[in-house]
Amino acid sequence: MKPHPKSKRHAPPRSGWLIGCGIAAAVGGAFLLSALTPSPTSASGKAESAPPPPTGPFTLEVFPADVQLHTKRAAQSLVVRITEQSGVQRDVTAHAAFTFTDPAKARIENGRVAPLADGDTTLKVAYAGQTAAVPVKVSEAQTDPAVSFRRDVMPVFLRSGCNAGGCHGSARGQDGFHLSLFGYDPEGDHFRLTRELAGRRINLALPAESMIITKCVGDAPHTGGKLFEKDSQYAQTLIRWLEAGALNDPPEVATCTSVELLPKRLVLETPGQPHRVTVRAHYSDGTQRDVTPLALFLTSNEGSAKISKDGVITTGQRGEAFVMARFATHTVVSQVIVIPKDLKFTWPEVEEWNFIDQLVDKKLRDLRITPSALCDDATFLRRAQIDITGVLAPTSEVEKFLADPDPKKRERKVDELLGRKEFTDLWALKWSELLQIRSDQNNGGYKATLNYYDWLHAQLAKNVPINVIASELIAATGSTLENPAANYFQLETDALKLAEDTAQAFMGIRIQCAQCHNHPFDRWTMDDYRGFVAFFTQVGRKTGEDPREKIIYDRREGESKHPLGDRVVPPKFLGGESPETKGTDRREALAKWLAAPENPYFARHMANLIWAQYMGRGIIEPVDDARISNPAANPELLTALAGKLVESNYDMRKFVREICTSRTYQTSTRGNETNGTDERNFAHATIRRMRAEVLLDCISQVTETKDKHRGLPAGAHAVEIADGRTTNYFLTTFGRATRENICSREEVGPTLSQALHFLNGETIETKIAGGGVVKRLLGEKKSPREVTGELYLRCFGRPPTEEEIAKLEPLWATAADQQPAIFTDLFWALLNAKEFMFNH
Amino acid sequence: MSESKPVTWLDDPAHFRRPSRREFLYTGLIGGLGLTLGDFFKLRAAQTSTPGIVAPPAVAQSLIHIFLPGGWAAQETFDPKPFAPVEYRGALGSIDTKLDGVRFSEYLKQTAKIADKITVVRSMTHGEAAHERGTHNMFTGYRPSPAIQFPSMGSVVAHELGSRNQLPPYVCVPSMPNEFAGSGYLSTAYGPFSLGGDPASQGFAVRDLNMRQGITPERFDRRRNILATVDEHFRSLEKSDALDAMDSFYQAAYSLVSAPEAREAFNLAAEPEAMRTEYGKGEAGQRMLMARRLVEAGVRFVSMTYGGWDMHAKIQDGIAKQLPPFDQAFAALIRDLDQRGLLDTTIVMVTSEFGRTPKINKDAGRDHWPRVFDVVFAGGGFKRGLVYGSSDPTGSEPDQDPLTVENMAATVYHQLGIAPEKKLIAPGNRPIDIVRNGSVVSELLA
Repeated sequence: MKPHPKSKRHAPPRSGWLIGCGIAAAVGGAFLLSALTPSPTSASGKAESAPPPPTGPFTLEVFPADVQLHTKRAAQSLVVRITEQSGVQRDVTAHAAFTFTDPAKARIENGRVAPLADGDTTLKVAYAGQTAAVPVKVSEAQTDPAVSFRRDVMPVFLRSGCNAGGCHGSARGQDGFHLSLFGYDPEGDHFRLTRELAGRRINLALPAESMIITKCVGDAPHTGGKLFEKDSQYAQTLIRWLEAGALNDPPEVATCTSVELLPKRLVLETPGQPHRVTVRAHYSDGTQRDVTPLALFLTSNEGSAKISKDGVITTGQRGEAFVMARFATHTVVSQVIVIPKDLKFTWPEVEEWNFIDQLVDKKLRDLRITPSALCDDATFLRRAQIDITGVLAPTSEVEKFLADPDPKKRERKVDELLGRKEFTDLWALKWSELLQIRSDQNNGGYKATLNYYDWLHAQLAKNVPINVIASELIAATGSTLENPAANYFQLETDALKLAEDTAQAFMGIRIQCAQCHNHPFDRWTMDDYRGFVAFFTQVGRKTGEDPREKIIYDRREGESKHPLGDRVVPPKFLGGESPETKGTDRREALAKWLAAPENPYFARHMANLIWAQYMGRGIIEPVDDARISNPAANPELLTALAGKLVESNYDMRKFVREICTSRTYQTSTRGNETNGTDERNFAHATIRRMRAEVLLDCISQVTETKDKHRGLPAGAHAVEIADGRTTNYFLTTFGRATRENICSREEVGPTLSQALHFLNGETIETKIAGGGVVKRLLGEKKSPREVTGELYLRCFGRPPTEEEIAKLEPLWATAADQQPAIFTDLFWALLNAKEFMFNH
Repeated sequence: MSESKPVTWLDDPAHFRRPSRREFLYTGLIGGLGLTLGDFFKLRAAQTSTPGIVAPPAVAQSLIHIFLPGGWAAQETFDPKPFAPVEYRGALGSIDTKLDGVRFSEYLKQTAKIADKITVVRSMTHGEAAHERGTHNMFTGYRPSPAIQFPSMGSVVAHELGSRNQLPPYVCVPSMPNEFAGSGYLSTAYGPFSLGGDPASQGFAVRDLNMRQGITPERFDRRRNILATVDEHFRSLEKSDALDAMDSFYQAAYSLVSAPEAREAFNLAAEPEAMRTEYGKGEAGQRMLMARRLVEAGVRFVSMTYGGWDMHAKIQDGIAKQLPPFDQAFAALIRDLDQRGLLDTTIVMVTSEFGRTPKINKDAGRDHWPRVFDVVFAGGGFKRGLVYGSSDPTGSEPDQDPLTVENMAATVYHQLGIAPEKKLIAPGNRPIDIVRNGSVVSELLA
């Protein structure tokens, strides 16, 4: 992969607000940072005039809210933001005045707070009549620390892209020089720089002549182009490190434990002023450091919000973006909402039925988007039937529901549907996919598979809390026939894959990347990966008396080894601590951690997974790819949902009830002027093709035919099929998941085979004929109009419109002996219609 | 773009498989039945052009991929080792071919006669000795990744070249042979169309293609009309890319079912008996004949499989049974394409997931060996009568000009007029090269 156009890519850092601005003018004892803001005007050389302060009330905030300056080289950038009454925010850093209560302790230098002497002081920030106070703490103001390889040098490689996958981070290196991908191996990188080709890459006698300098500053030909200026802080850091002898760090060097990107959320106007951000790192020795100049900035949506190399956001078209900063192994995001300047928008006072509506609406208000209207009763009934039970309502039920005057009838219907067996069937299907339940040579074949499925179904039917189901799976031991949950360790026997699958299925986290290198856009390091794998390395398996039976037990031995140095990595929870597991089954600790209410991932993932099932889209999408660079569209909503799930003791039915009784669930699929293009914020319902199993079941239901699936009585639903390997032409063609790996799942994309099979295949044709519905209806001496109405109600869940009747009328004006064929064709057409295939 | 970035969001390697729900985000499409499959593919392709990359001129219009599952032995097919010790050579003999000094297996008698029309590669190499990994390589041009599902070459061709003559661009004979033949991270819309029946079987018919018994064309038209009526209400209210995409496939299905010329491509019975006999009445012959009919009618990429070549035991018997029908059919296919003037615009590609061990094992078979094996090309601008590369005297390692999977894929795409360095968009807006680090091997080309 050619990573980037070499010539243009690495433009020198522009004279932005961090490096180029040398002036902090003291005006009346206060500092004004007016040289700071890069904007179109300042870039074109014209002086920037301060925009008028807001006319209405506003709030003033300073980021970060406190400043810690450790050592002489420390400096902290600030962002001053105001929020107007409309919610719109602006960066006023350049127009605010700064004063210190004790000017001997700190000062403003190059646009940042810099230390003078140890001690505490307060920075007063004033803008348009409002002030904010920022406590400042200075320590070791006279110490000039040595350049650290890990803390100072490695970040230069990351920020400059040297160790990216397309450059020297490639497994094969680039032009003979290899660095670990995104710096996962500082030890190895130090070796490669200093000793792999002694005398080539660094020159300790003439540090500035070292190849790593001359290549980066453009003095020597470099495939990656010029990366920074010779007098930039990046080159200076490298040169100072070389001057000091290019030393490796002592083992006790403090590591970065967390990173903050501030502000965390922004509502900006377009066109509008640029807005800066600041990035602060926290270290294991308790110190903090402004790493804005060393962070790598990215945006999810260039069109709406660009972010410069120096961390300045420029707004583009209306929309939403996540800006991301990466430093060391940490990635953090902030959400940016961009709305048109002076947009005329009035929020319609829509009803909010529960917390879901409140939180969805809050985001929509910020986005200036109006939610769609409620869907009609017929649409609601059909949608809820398909989503909650996977079957359609019988015509009598449809008629009854439509005629019911009770304003609470939708809520009552949801309650009724949640009590149905089909609700359990549908979730057993979903879970079977997550757990990859399929017959396999490994797991004792069909009998074990059926056992496993039956166990799962029974748990769901009994409404066993889903955290309990999960922990029973993770800690399962014993015979796969007697304790079906133990199949979890028989369907997959590789410890790495078990760890990956567990993270993905139960937490929606994909740690696969970290098998080989630190995850570049998430927090997972190779240590995290191997530590999580360690929970699965001691799983023992032996064959029982019955050859189909496997016994899962704890071997009490077997370790997870780090590929760098082959050291043993003890079990460690993802993002958590290392539990003491000596003398116990490691999986018990894991199961307990996973199921605990304070687990940060499980409830969120489950809430999102269940939400997506009903809303057609996760708050994090795809649902099993939660990572920092794929943030939740509405984090507050996801947090509230997860809280609700925990509060209800992980009761799926209660949770689904919350979703389906919200106004948000019951909106129409039809967009309005403001929300037509929005797909992320649940302003309107989503059109979805029915999944393969449900589609077949619904066809069988309306045609009154029965299917025979393996292991099930005739007439049982396709949804109930236990084994991932059991399928038929229809199900495979319409995307039944094979369950062969964690990623295999239902596919609902259209294909030619699907269209041919519907138009011309045996399923529709034989079912219409076999079920005899048309014949019976005609036999009941119903009028053509009544027969038409009945077929519409069956397939679409609504009566035909007068317009449709008028168009179809000429058809039945034919001879009586033609009637069966005519209505067969109508039935065929209704089943082929998108209104049937899609849930809307 | 004014800002330069060393890494972009798009480099995000959290790039796992496709999302469950395909999103058809082509804008400006009017919904409804006006969209043909050809339009559909065109519109999709228009959105995915990579600036700065110009597609090479297309030499070949179509491709027939003959895949021999299980891993075929080079020693018993196109790279016999008559001078190696018997434990390497095996029990079978070799014969002269139309090319001086080039010998094939004794069971490739017909192919030996057309050796001057084909390109034999004796130095194919990759390191994957497991069936599924080797198969992945040969179908996608990529090494398997735990993080992403790559599309098959057939799906990439469907995506890049689209459909001709209202026919599906990518067809599998008889059906999709393995999961790697699918559309990977691309939409399922680019997946293969499977015949769903074996051309060699009695009463073969492509599944769901012919109108059902009792459905006259008039009745089919009536059904279509009623469908248009009952669909209208919904279509007038609902707008969704998923609905438009579904429509375009319905449109394609209509034209296949109701247009005799399109459907005729699948009608193997229309081939004269003499032709069917020349190819051979078995699976190899009838599938290859079907493949020829399909590319002649306009299908871009036909992927077919034949036999089972995983001969861990008694390889002599296995070859004696499976190779002669292949030999007959393959030679017939090359001759037939050549006579019709189609060979120069049709690439024929014979591959397998890997080769087999240099030494005969204790069961008189050979085990998996990916270090060096054979692939065979013909037509589509490949050099006629060329033997490219060589294996060492025991068939253990490539000796000259090893051909990598990436270079093979790059060369094939190049001949089809597809730039191998072009990027396709995987989920998460991640651009992925059609072939990563592959170079066109000009020595293979005429």
